[in-house]
Amino acid sequence: MPDRGQLQLKPYEVLEHTADIGIRVKAPDLAGLFKNAGLAIFQISCEKKETTDKKVHKIAVAQKADNLEELFINWLNELLSLSAVEALIFEEIQITKVSESLIEAVAIGSSAKNYKMNTEIKAATYHQLKVEKGPSGWVAEVIFDV
Amino acid sequence: MSNPGQIQLEKIDDYRWRIPKSEKPGMRVPGLVYADEKLLKDIFHDKALEQVANVAFLPGIVNNSLAMPDIHWGYGFPIGGVAATDIEEGGVVSPGGVGFDINCGVRLVKTDLFHDDIKDKIQDLVYALFNIVPAGVGSKGDIRVSAKEEKEILVKGAQWAVSKGYGTQDDLDCTEENGAIAGADPDAVSERAYERGKAQAGTLGSGNHFLEVQVIDQLYDAELCDTFGLNLGQVMVMIHSGSRGFGYQVCDDHVRGMVHCLQKYNINVPDRQLACAPVKSREAQQYLAAMRCAANYAWANRQCLMHLARLAFEKVFSKSWQKMGMGLIYDVAHNIAKIEKYVVDGKEKSLCVHRKGATRAFPPGHPELPDRFKKTGQPVIIPGDMGRNSYLLVGTEKAVETFYSTCHGSGRVKSRTAATKSVNLNVLLKDLESKGIIVKASGRGTIVEEAPEAYKNVNDVVNVVHNAGISKRVCRMRPVGVIKG
Repeated sequence: MPDRGQLQLKPYEVLEHTADIGIRVKAPDLAGLFKNAGLAIFQISCEKKETTDKKVHKIAVAQKADNLEELFINWLNELLSLSAVEALIFEEIQITKVSESLIEAVAIGSSAKNYKMNTEIKAATYHQLKVEKGPSGWVAEVIFDV
Repeated sequence: MSNPGQIQLEKIDDYRWRIPKSEKPGMRVPGLVYADEKLLKDIFHDKALEQVANVAFLPGIVNNSLAMPDIHWGYGFPIGGVAATDIEEGGVVSPGGVGFDINCGVRLVKTDLFHDDIKDKIQDLVYALFNIVPAGVGSKGDIRVSAKEEKEILVKGAQWAVSKGYGTQDDLDCTEENGAIAGADPDAVSERAYERGKAQAGTLGSGNHFLEVQVIDQLYDAELCDTFGLNLGQVMVMIHSGSRGFGYQVCDDHVRGMVHCLQKYNINVPDRQLACAPVKSREAQQYLAAMRCAANYAWANRQCLMHLARLAFEKVFSKSWQKMGMGLIYDVAHNIAKIEKYVVDGKEKSLCVHRKGATRAFPPGHPELPDRFKKTGQPVIIPGDMGRNSYLLVGTEKAVETFYSTCHGSGRVKSRTAATKSVNLNVLLKDLESKGIIVKASGRGTIVEEAPEAYKNVNDVVNVVHNAGISKRVCRMRPVGVIKG
């Protein structure tokens, strides 16, 4: 599993919002877009501490929705929910299947004990949500309640 | 008032501004913003006024889409927004009008200690509080509950905590809804919400949540201060927390369903985070039943947090909390939807009142107030930022124009990223220390994000609600010890 500390580029950029946190993510394909947005949550909310615990936890994540925007929000909120319930921080995401109405993935993480928590992201919201395909790939903008 | 390229406001008086229905086609009622010219300059900085206009689209909305002076940009509703819908006229409930942190709220505890009694022990007190109160993201508490007990919490709220020995009947008398709102149905709650709420009872959380030791530095109404037993220099404890992961999950579960209600019930709103359903619909009833469970979870949580704070005081001062006079002044919710009765156009109606970053403020004599508050009006607790002040207010009859609602805090003015860029942690801590404020947080980032400069001045906000007459100042506190998540 890649060490998050070695990531050269953040998979997101921050959008200004008075009370909450907005992000923009880009990717050449839909799988990359969902993966980058998912990883952004955990990169915003915590930092890895020095640890000898190398145990890797894998969790299957599947979501369905009526359209792409709902799928995007449901996916992000499912990751947040699983992270809280399982006490895991997801460091890598492997998307096995994605369409505009379905996603199947494996979220790979490490115990939350190995992390210093900063900002608590409560949920992803529909406010000013964008999930669009542009000339140079996919772009999404989402505001998190923090 | 001119606000180039954005929503225009018409001045009603020095503290009230109207957004006419013509500002955005589809508004069912005007917007009404409580602010003075100073605060409006901050309000114009973001998209909060557009959100006030968007809320005016909600089916069944009555009178006005309201904004309190601490209003700022949220998601769906603005933070500081109030909207009441007429249940018999197809009025809706929107989970976005409550938010993810259901029954986020504040409680204020008095002590009989004075600043002189604690000034040499503030550091010890802050450390004792920090050690005993689980704080931070996803923090878990020592107050462990079984699955069966969790269901009990959802129905009994703070009454559950008191039955476990974490407080007294007197505490319940001083809590909105006596710490347990009726109509909570644990069967309306998902298994995931149960799992997410497990082990978080008695935890503070992070972000803007806090526990503060404060000292009264100004009395505004001598008679009310006497009634509440409050004097200059008296030490108070303020706790700001909510329903933690349990509430986030309840909101998420129900927003998922409610986005489909927009089409099903032919509802047109300009933001899907305003997803809603008629209060009488099955979807709305399920949401309200689950939301009330989360509200009760939050009241239990704040009751447990107060219990832990009392234990920390006992440890530091070697006296029982009763001997230190640590009675609860009041506990209020500021993210909630409630069914309340109001006279509209001469008829009594049941309305669904959404308060998203706004506080209920019942006036003296209101039938739902317990006897002890019948003469004073309902206590209202307004926390400020960690470097300035917080307030105790009471409700007034004039607030009937806001469905007995008032502000809930100071309101953010600077984003977290902007605060992180402009605030130096060490300089901030030194500055706070020079003002006699000791801060202890589980995350250093939180202190910077929550720096005083990220907030409006609470004194300006309270000035507006007091002068507009929608609540009345009782006394003001300043912080001396701050515990952050």
